[in-house]
Amino acid sequence: MQPWLEMKGLKKKIDDFQLGPIDLTVQPGTITALVGNNGAGKSTLLKTMMNLVKPEEGVIHLFGKEFDQYEDHWNQRIAYQPQSLIGCNAFNGKELMTFISKWYPKWDQNLFMHLVDLFDIPIMKRYVKLSPGVRQKLNLALSLSRDTEVMVLDEPTAQMDIPAKQMLMDVLVEWMEREDKALIIATHQVEDIRKLADYVVIMKNGKMIGQFLKEELTTQYKRYWMEQPLSFESVPGEITRKGDRLITTSRSNEAERYFLQEKLAWIESESMELEEIITVLLGDHGERKRPF
Amino acid sequence: MELPIRLSKESRVPIYHQIEAQIKTLITSGHLAAGSSLPSIRALSKDLEISVITIRRAYQDLEYQGFIKTVQGKGTFVAEVAESMKEKIKVSVVYEAIANGVETALQHEYSFEEIEGIFQQILSMKKNKKKEE
Repeated sequence: MQPWLEMKGLKKKIDDFQLGPIDLTVQPGTITALVGNNGAGKSTLLKTMMNLVKPEEGVIHLFGKEFDQYEDHWNQRIAYQPQSLIGCNAFNGKELMTFISKWYPKWDQNLFMHLVDLFDIPIMKRYVKLSPGVRQKLNLALSLSRDTEVMVLDEPTAQMDIPAKQMLMDVLVEWMEREDKALIIATHQVEDIRKLADYVVIMKNGKMIGQFLKEELTTQYKRYWMEQPLSFESVPGEITRKGDRLITTSRSNEAERYFLQEKLAWIESESMELEEIITVLLGDHGERKRPF
Repeated sequence: MELPIRLSKESRVPIYHQIEAQIKTLITSGHLAAGSSLPSIRALSKDLEISVITIRRAYQDLEYQGFIKTVQGKGTFVAEVAESMKEKIKVSVVYEAIANGVETALQHEYSFEEIEGIFQQILSMKKNKKKEE
């Protein structure tokens, strides 16, 4: 299948911040979570997808075409929700809905009303009067109802309360099932990654650490307690070592093969949690990996 | 919970295979009757916290082997599985589980005699437990 979005060797310099090189692929039917430290360049990367930031090097293909060959109305097939909407303060939700819906021929009014009802959004209240959490709920209702094929969300749930976050996950699952869709979501919420993501893109200080299938991370990162102290030789995928018997690896299959071959027995092994894995990848031990 | 499936990330058995095997067991044991609907790939993905890529692979294998069928626009359903087939699967699931156990013991350098000893020990433990009940 042809990817809907493809980035190759993408680079952008803003003041003394260097983004890239970024290599990224998004297939239809998938959810990609973009994860990184603060200032990793996630928002800048999302903006390049919408041609709001022009890269200096590299190519972006959207629906198989480079930007200068984008088909007309390409921006009706992809929607982008920034962290905060600017210029909305004077309007209420209903007015914003009226403006935005005109731009999107597939606008789904039923979905909009459903989300307003579900999240209890006061659509007659001016945007400026809404709390940050309610603003985010309204932003989401305004974004998802566009019913575009690709949806790009920049930290959509940071301010939302716990029940709303939970409900949103179900909303997004249902949204993904409307037809072929792709969702790209920058997030710091581990729950979003655990429950929604198929692929995890990890970024650190402008660099891309890798694009991983979620299970590549959750089944391959493991911790072992060895029966005997280990020698100084490093174990395949070794990330950290505490004392001489507790070891973590990013490639458990290879590590286990090595242990068996070297006749090293382990007392216990344990998969690492996503939080820990991401912390490792964003720390100094993260090794560079190629996508896929 | 969409389906009573419990995955082990510690296991050496690949995730898609674990999903496949557990759905097969649910079907052959009669817990999932023919015609009952299965969760969508995306819903099961959220539930099990596993990517749709892996869930799809398990569903495709199950469909290929005739355990489930997908009806365009309607969803995925449990297929009619012949009794003889159910019996065959039951046998092979048990064989596979024991074979995996033996494999683990061999990797830990137990001899065949020792493995047999362990096997007998577990059997008699289970027998005693059953008597108590």
